[in-house]
Amino acid sequence: MGQLGARAGLYDAATVRVNATGSISVMVGAHSHGQGHETAFPQVVAEMLGIDESMIDIVHGDTSKIPFGMGTYGSRSLAVCGSAMVRATEKIINKAKKIAGHLLEASDADIELKDGQFTVAGTDKSVAWGDVTLAAYVPHNYPLEDIEPGLEETAFYDPANFTYPSGAYACELELDPETGRVTIERFAAADDFGNVVNPMIVEGQVHGGLAQGIGQALLESCVYDENGQLLSASYMDYAMPRAEDVPFYQVDHSCATPCTHNPLGVKGCGEAGAIGSPPAVVNAVIDALHSGGYTQVDHIDMPVSPHRVWKAMQG
Amino acid sequence: MYSFEIESPTSVADAVAALGKEEAQALGGGQTLIPSLKARLAAPSVLVSLKNIDEIKGVSINGDTVTIGGGTTHATVAAEVGSAYPALADLAVNIGDPAVRNRGTIGGSLANNDPSACYPAAALASGATIVTNTREIAADDYFEGMFTTALEEGEIVTAVKFPVPEAAAYIKFEQPASRFALVGVFVAKYADGVRVAVTGASEDGVFRWSEAESALSSNFGADALDGLSLSGDGMISDLHGSGDYRAHLIAVLTKRAVKAAA
Repeated sequence: MGQLGARAGLYDAATVRVNATGSISVMVGAHSHGQGHETAFPQVVAEMLGIDESMIDIVHGDTSKIPFGMGTYGSRSLAVCGSAMVRATEKIINKAKKIAGHLLEASDADIELKDGQFTVAGTDKSVAWGDVTLAAYVPHNYPLEDIEPGLEETAFYDPANFTYPSGAYACELELDPETGRVTIERFAAADDFGNVVNPMIVEGQVHGGLAQGIGQALLESCVYDENGQLLSASYMDYAMPRAEDVPFYQVDHSCATPCTHNPLGVKGCGEAGAIGSPPAVVNAVIDALHSGGYTQVDHIDMPVSPHRVWKAMQG
Repeated sequence: MYSFEIESPTSVADAVAALGKEEAQALGGGQTLIPSLKARLAAPSVLVSLKNIDEIKGVSINGDTVTIGGGTTHATVAAEVGSAYPALADLAVNIGDPAVRNRGTIGGSLANNDPSACYPAAALASGATIVTNTREIAADDYFEGMFTTALEEGEIVTAVKFPVPEAAAYIKFEQPASRFALVGVFVAKYADGVRVAVTGASEDGVFRWSEAESALSSNFGADALDGLSLSGDGMISDLHGSGDYRAHLIAVLTKRAVKAAA
């Protein structure tokens, strides 16, 4: 980001600590508050090492334990912090291959890591992930002259560019011309998020974003009176979307164009649902009014409440 | 919430005695009062819970009259009134959510007379009789404006008697946040005429729309209402809708109620 003129690195950081038993704690700068980092991040590390995800624990949110990160915002956690985690894991693999090469009496350049086994290429000589991690902390047979004991690496990753997810959203709704009430009948969201690590989480993020966006489009509003008194101070007056306010969504991620500049090829997905849905809903309302003959209405401020629709129809 | 004493009498007589204490307040299902206490908008020194008084609970259906004890929950009304007075059961089953319906009572709702509550519309449109520990009050004399009724200090709604109409329906247009009635219209057709009661709309609380009643009494069809409208003056105007919008909704919902009832 510094290269783009931000005059600051919008990096994030990850520390991968491999324990003697082979289990791993990944300390990450990005915070998880519902996005499922605890599930998706281990998937990435597990796939790189060929070990089970259950061996990997994500540590986040405690500043006494984690490296300094820039935080979770802008749909950046996997693209930026995840990339830092990949870089740190690559360092782990490099060092682990040196240890494995020593144990196998081979050059580390000849060591391949697959399915949690370090193998000398072209042979059946191998050591398991756990043999290497134990050797790292109990270094009786260890290349002490070349590398230090232990297996823990930190990486900082500053993205070279933004990621550019793109999508198309379509909303079908019914508008009651007598009351102005809008009911969403169908909603389809197609997004290109690049590579997807965990499809269920990504779908859930889109669902949540759509509900938030529909809430913004139709319901949610902070209203003050002329004296500055907040009128929408409780859920009796602040309208949150509820299950009955949203349809069953159709989401599609079949178009997956990998991001070209981060190691995972991932793009941000957290905000897409909330960004694409409000204009889709409001455009559908305007379209419904036009088909109903109210062609003079080309704009209604959000939230598009029944009262506002009715007022717009009065001209 | 401020501290208070609580009493749980098991008879109307004991409840009336307890309500004689200074700053005592009757507690029905607590669906309005408890939030008010939590927000420190009310500070009674004694709460007299009516929950354990069996004699004011339950539904009885006798000929053309449905009698509902004041301590009967919305859920019970929804479950037990349907065969005799379906529109009333339909109203009850659409109040709040299951938690509200299993705590809130018809007596509590009518005593509170929230301008957006559903039951006042049913009672007024049905020409119901509100029975208290001391007397019987016709619905037309009972509702006296927003949160105001003919009840005296310490008077308890023990039952409500609903004459069963030939046809009836309640249509509620929900306020988007609270899901209370932004406007609710109850239409009930009796042998001697049609009654139309409107909740949620007026600054004076629930009221009868007499022009609509006259028109519908001679022709019980939605077309009888063509051309009838109400002024937005005196209607509630808030962040969810202007007085004009509410007045407009009354006409729309009254037609829908007539169609649903017919």
